[in-house]
Amino acid sequence: MAYEAQYYPGATSVAENRRKHMSGDVEKLREVSDDDLTLVLGHRAPGSDYPSTHPPLAEMGEPECSIREMVEPTPGAKAGDRVRYVQFVDSMYNAPSTPYFRSYAAAINYRGVDPGTLSGRQVVEARERDMEEIAKFQLETEMTCPALASLRGATVHGHSLRLPEDGIMFDMLDRCRLENGVVIMHKDQVGRAIDKKVDFGKPMSEEEAAKRTTIYRVDNVAFRDDAEVIEWVHTVFEKRTAYGFKPE
Amino acid sequence: MADDRKRLFQKELEVKFTKEHGDNKMEGGEITDKKVTYYRLGVDQNPRKVEMKKAGQEMAKARGLVGYNPMMHCGGIPLGQRAITPSFVSGTDIMVETDDLHYVNNAAMQQMWDDIRRTTIVGMDMAHETLEKRLGIEVTPETINHYLEVLNHALPGGAVVQEHMVETHPALVDDCYVKIFTGDDELADEIDSQFLIDINKQFPEDQAEALKAAIGKTTWQAAHIPTVVSRTTDGAQTSRWMAMQVGMSFIAAYNMCAGEAAVADLSYAAKHAGVISMGDMLPARRARGPNEPGGISFGHMADIIQTSRVDAEDPAHVALEVVGGGCMLYDQIWLGSYMSGGVGFTQYATAAYTNNILDDNLYYNVDYINDKYDGAANKGTDNKVKATMDVVKDIATESTIYGLENYEKYPTALEDHFGGSQRATMLSAAAGSATALATGNGNAGLSAWYLSMYLHKEAHGRLGFFGYDLQDQCGATNVFSFQSDEGLPVELRGPNYPNYAMNVGHQGGYTAIASAAHAGRGDAWAVNPLIKVCFADDLLPFDFTAPRKEFGRGAIREFEPAGERSLIIPAK
Repeated sequence: MAYEAQYYPGATSVAENRRKHMSGDVEKLREVSDDDLTLVLGHRAPGSDYPSTHPPLAEMGEPECSIREMVEPTPGAKAGDRVRYVQFVDSMYNAPSTPYFRSYAAAINYRGVDPGTLSGRQVVEARERDMEEIAKFQLETEMTCPALASLRGATVHGHSLRLPEDGIMFDMLDRCRLENGVVIMHKDQVGRAIDKKVDFGKPMSEEEAAKRTTIYRVDNVAFRDDAEVIEWVHTVFEKRTAYGFKPE
Repeated sequence: MADDRKRLFQKELEVKFTKEHGDNKMEGGEITDKKVTYYRLGVDQNPRKVEMKKAGQEMAKARGLVGYNPMMHCGGIPLGQRAITPSFVSGTDIMVETDDLHYVNNAAMQQMWDDIRRTTIVGMDMAHETLEKRLGIEVTPETINHYLEVLNHALPGGAVVQEHMVETHPALVDDCYVKIFTGDDELADEIDSQFLIDINKQFPEDQAEALKAAIGKTTWQAAHIPTVVSRTTDGAQTSRWMAMQVGMSFIAAYNMCAGEAAVADLSYAAKHAGVISMGDMLPARRARGPNEPGGISFGHMADIIQTSRVDAEDPAHVALEVVGGGCMLYDQIWLGSYMSGGVGFTQYATAAYTNNILDDNLYYNVDYINDKYDGAANKGTDNKVKATMDVVKDIATESTIYGLENYEKYPTALEDHFGGSQRATMLSAAAGSATALATGNGNAGLSAWYLSMYLHKEAHGRLGFFGYDLQDQCGATNVFSFQSDEGLPVELRGPNYPNYAMNVGHQGGYTAIASAAHAGRGDAWAVNPLIKVCFADDLLPFDFTAPRKEFGRGAIREFEPAGERSLIIPAK
């Protein structure tokens, strides 16, 4: 019998969404062009070559190494790209993803990534073109709602504040705005003005966000209602405690 | 349990988030609203920021060099784009600007730390034995009183024995003094009351009996060197300063010949035998001597805070005051400045002692425990529930979910604790302290702390910051590993314990857990009866029975600190 990965316990929609994020089996909701993505990331000018930190591996004459033979380099590593980052902030108000699930999704589904998880934000560092692939994947799919998640390389403050009256997550640097019913970014992820407005499409409705979210909330799917998840956390806790137990 | 209780934080949040302060235009709305209008008025919406901005401008003009300018942030985007709201100090009705809870802006916070750092406890018994056996000098209550009179002249810097000595101005060092305490009621009766920390008066009867039994017929000096000296030097100076004056005072009080050989014996006995520092010395890589905050164990800190002797019947209150003191010292001063360089950590810490959010969670837990475990959260030793894994799981889970749901039901509570580390400290401190209260076992409380972290992370898909999460996810493994280099009871751990050494937002909570276990049992102290008695002293400038109130008084500029130098500074 073929092994089927079991990503997450739980019987609720939140648990199911967590399974989807971790497996990478998420629905594509929008298109973001390469140029638009490059603009909002802010690492290089759209259309320019990827700056490199070393020559392509094929030109470097690598030493013999069985590990190198076994592991196919990522495209970015192969080309010698710089390591760059993308950082997301996810609102506490039913944002589709959360920092840990963005990290799990990156770590499980992509190679050569260095995900970092914090309370309000999640950063992935990788070779530039590899990073862009991950960023595009997250921006285009149900992992992201343009109103409840945003790219923020700096001043990430806002994920836990109440939403402003238009339902867009608070952003001190005003990178994202609701204009004519769609969310646009007119600054890059660190807050520098960009040449054009990048359209990320319509915000999710409150109902849709509640359906797609991976956060437990008492006004949607309460954590205490997912008994299997709590039991599983207890199991992890007990096993870690027992591991360190030294009675003598 | 029915969820119909009045939240302790509701009133505070209603004032904080729906009333206008300064020019913030916050009026209206409910604390349960999920949406709000942010006016983006920048620093001008907050009176303290306005004051600071003006001071920065005046300073730049006066010195011809730019300084504080809140418009520097992110190339001209003003700080405080959302309303900067003041906070209530928990357990008080004092509302403060949160800038004023930075220790640089708060004289009470500085004094609390000064009062700890400048304190040392020195045993008298070996010195007395040396005087009697080696030198044949009779020691009586009268001679002890005389010696204390001499030492209270000498300790602040008055000269004895040697002539033509420079001295300190007494008005600059009026906070410096020594008192003694003993478990021997007969001796205590013979000591001039001005010199005595009277255990019988300062503690409830049961605590006094326990303390006297632990201290026995030994006698100890509680010495506090001048605040200004401690600030100018360091914590390691405290015992040096005390040792110097102790030696001189013995020589003067007992008319000894300063050159005779036996004085060397006395010097060792008087200066070094039985010296207790508030904090241990730190290893060279952290470069701190004794009596610096990184060496103060959680148990010592729990004993320094004195709420347990004035409100013993409410052990949750004891734990909450310890949280306040611990968070301020460990997070704001130790981690926030000594370890990291300053600015930023204050806000992690203040979350634990403002707006009654932690208080609400802990008192909910008290009700939950008392309902389910037959009064186990009340003070007592025969009402405790056994510290089993099931009990830890039950209390920690209920406590954490209650706290999480408050953040979900009250968006202003979430906005108040807008960083994950703040939320994680809140929830875990409540879970840990509650479990310690119920079981009388600090390690069970610590275990609950870690479970709370796991539950929090799993529910919200996020926790604190990078390093924070790491330590909390491996923490359960070191709770019950009892080897000195692997783990210790929480009372004996301290900020330099390997996993805690850069663990902002945690150490005040750990201190509360250590405290809660003992306060829950009604113990007179957590780890060291001498430290508990030493700080049971109303003459100290900082009131250690009510640290949170003192921080509030400092924030509204009502607190009078010691060690001020205006006497020797030109008057403007």
